[in-house]
Amino acid sequence: MKILHIVGARPNFPKLAPVYRAARAVGVSQVVVHTGQHYDDAMSDAFFRDLGIHAPDINLGVGSATHAIQTARIMERIEPVLLDERPDWVVVYGDVNSTAAAALVAVKIGQRVAHVEAGVRSHDRSMPEEINRIVVDRLADLLLTPSRTADATLRAEGEPEGEIVFVGNVMVDALLYAVERARLTGFRHRVGAEAGRAVVVTLHRPSNVDDPARLARIVDALRSLAEGRPVIFPVHPRTRARLDAARLDVGAVRLLPPVGYLDMLDLVDAAAVLVTDSGGLQVESAALGVPCLTMRDTTEWPETIDCGANRLVPEPAALGAAVAAARRLAHPARPEGWDGMAAVRVVESLRSR
Amino acid sequence: MKLLHVVGARPNFPKLAPVYRAACAAGAGQVVVHTGQHYDDVLSAALMRDLGLPMPDLDLGVGSHSHAVQTARALERLEPVVVAERPDWLVVYGDVNSTLAAALVGAKLGVPIAHVEAGLRSGDRGMPEEINRIVTDRLATLLLPPSRDAEAVLRAEGEPPEKIVFVGNVMIDSVRYALPRARALAGCGPAEVRDTRGGAGPRRAAGVDGALDAPPTVVTLHRPSNVDDPSRLAGICAALEAIAAERPVVFPAHPRTRERLRGSGLRPRGVRLVEPLGYLAMLALVDRAHAVITDSGGVQEETTVLGVPCFTLRDTTERAITVTEGTNRIVRDPAELPAAVRGARRVADPHAPEGWDGHAGARVVAALAARSA
Repeated sequence: MKILHIVGARPNFPKLAPVYRAARAVGVSQVVVHTGQHYDDAMSDAFFRDLGIHAPDINLGVGSATHAIQTARIMERIEPVLLDERPDWVVVYGDVNSTAAAALVAVKIGQRVAHVEAGVRSHDRSMPEEINRIVVDRLADLLLTPSRTADATLRAEGEPEGEIVFVGNVMVDALLYAVERARLTGFRHRVGAEAGRAVVVTLHRPSNVDDPARLARIVDALRSLAEGRPVIFPVHPRTRARLDAARLDVGAVRLLPPVGYLDMLDLVDAAAVLVTDSGGLQVESAALGVPCLTMRDTTEWPETIDCGANRLVPEPAALGAAVAAARRLAHPARPEGWDGMAAVRVVESLRSR
Repeated sequence: MKLLHVVGARPNFPKLAPVYRAACAAGAGQVVVHTGQHYDDVLSAALMRDLGLPMPDLDLGVGSHSHAVQTARALERLEPVVVAERPDWLVVYGDVNSTLAAALVGAKLGVPIAHVEAGLRSGDRGMPEEINRIVTDRLATLLLPPSRDAEAVLRAEGEPPEKIVFVGNVMIDSVRYALPRARALAGCGPAEVRDTRGGAGPRRAAGVDGALDAPPTVVTLHRPSNVDDPSRLAGICAALEAIAAERPVVFPAHPRTRERLRGSGLRPRGVRLVEPLGYLAMLALVDRAHAVITDSGGVQEETTVLGVPCFTLRDTTERAITVTEGTNRIVRDPAELPAAVRGARRVADPHAPEGWDGHAGARVVAALAARSA
């Protein structure tokens, strides 16, 4: 069996890594294609080493552009690679433009597509990721779901039972693989996040950072929080540009440059509370039992709310009270299949077909 | 209300035309964008005149390529147009690559998308059109199915009822709009199909003027599944020769099909291979046919309302209602064609499925207007 993995942006790599390692362990032939839709310096050899994988075999160098142009470039560049490699499975991850574009190309040339993280929905079609999710799930031959909610969503969309396989959450595999090494980095001490009092913040979505008035209200809320406890905010380049443009006073909030995978994991693990709009961090905080406050109207990870680890707090003014009320769960109940073995189940289901 | 229509290939135009005319009548602002994914001389001022359409406002000149490259070019060229025009509705038709590309662009930009001819399914994902259909329907804001069975498909796929509006078949609007002119042009009504003298226009264009003494069997084939495999194509040609020994066979051949025939050294005896015909000429020819052998989607629908027996040379059809309620029959093995054609009888008083009444375009526009207030 030969697997061709498609990744396109940083959040795809912690999903790829456990599947890649599980396939390697059983001697499956593999090619990793990185479309290069998002590239930054943090995606270095060290980043791949942290995840236990090597650098991608093929980089298509697509780069940043509008959604249509980026999707177009990925389609054009990936078609000859798929025709040349002729894999048994094209495996796509998550919800980035590369995920949908690769699926479209593969099905048209008759190659089978497996989607890791299928059935995840925010039910908000103004999010470009939601469009990518519904397109790839419609096209994929094998829908590998991270949760029972996702199974139910796919069934309600009329997907045939035989295409849906519950495997659990591969991001949790990556986390459990790395968390001990993350704790050895000492990153939490270097940024003053020890003692379990710190609020860790990550924000990058247009809905939070593109509207200057909303961004100002968020910064106000964070500045107030920072008067009483450490507030540590690793800043996405997109967010940095918006903060600089708005000339906002962040007070005692500690702004950090973007941090690596292990460092971020150590920081989340050390946090008293996480404030985020990222999908992956909602999952990671739930797996670690760290209370998460999600600054969005919707989440594609409702099981993180059901298990008591996550709460939607779209209104910046409500953040202070929500942080004060947040308590670390003594016995975090991880959702079914968030057990570190999801990738093994992914590879099993690929091989059995 | 402002509509931006996206079309990309010839089969889209008879679907666009009735919607365009109904929107004109309702005073809507309209822009027609042709991606140019398929272009030939038939796609000309004459086609637009036959259908009562102006020339497209924009031609994006995408051209022929692999599916991936063609879809990619349509994506990148459509996006700036949709951004600049900011329509209330992006209206997409049928199942070509441009349909899918436009739906993706619209969905990402948050522009409402209406899909005319939603819910058609062959169940065969090996057909690129099937991929375009299922993705477009998932992305669309408003699904406008042409038949009740298509509506049922969409419900079974979990589409919410409020997203689906049954409008009927816009292709049939075009047939009904053009039929009187097609018959006049042919110089004969369906009752006089044996009168082959004095007719001009399509029959002369088809090279059949004055040559036919019986209603012909009309053949249109272009799908890879029929024309790309030389042994399959040879089997089809043998069947056509057998039919031609009994009655006239007219085969307006797609350039792709002609190329394949030449490449395989096939010249079916007695079969009149002619150039592709214009819309009215083709309609006139089908209207007076004894039977039609096809792998095209639109012809299956036209023959149903005209009462002409249709033999669809495929394993599946996305237009099941033409089989259950119309004159269509799926024929997988070409060897069955001679007997099928011999036994074929035209239907004197054809039954039209619900909504195949010539008013689907008006219902499309009413549905769009009701949702853009």
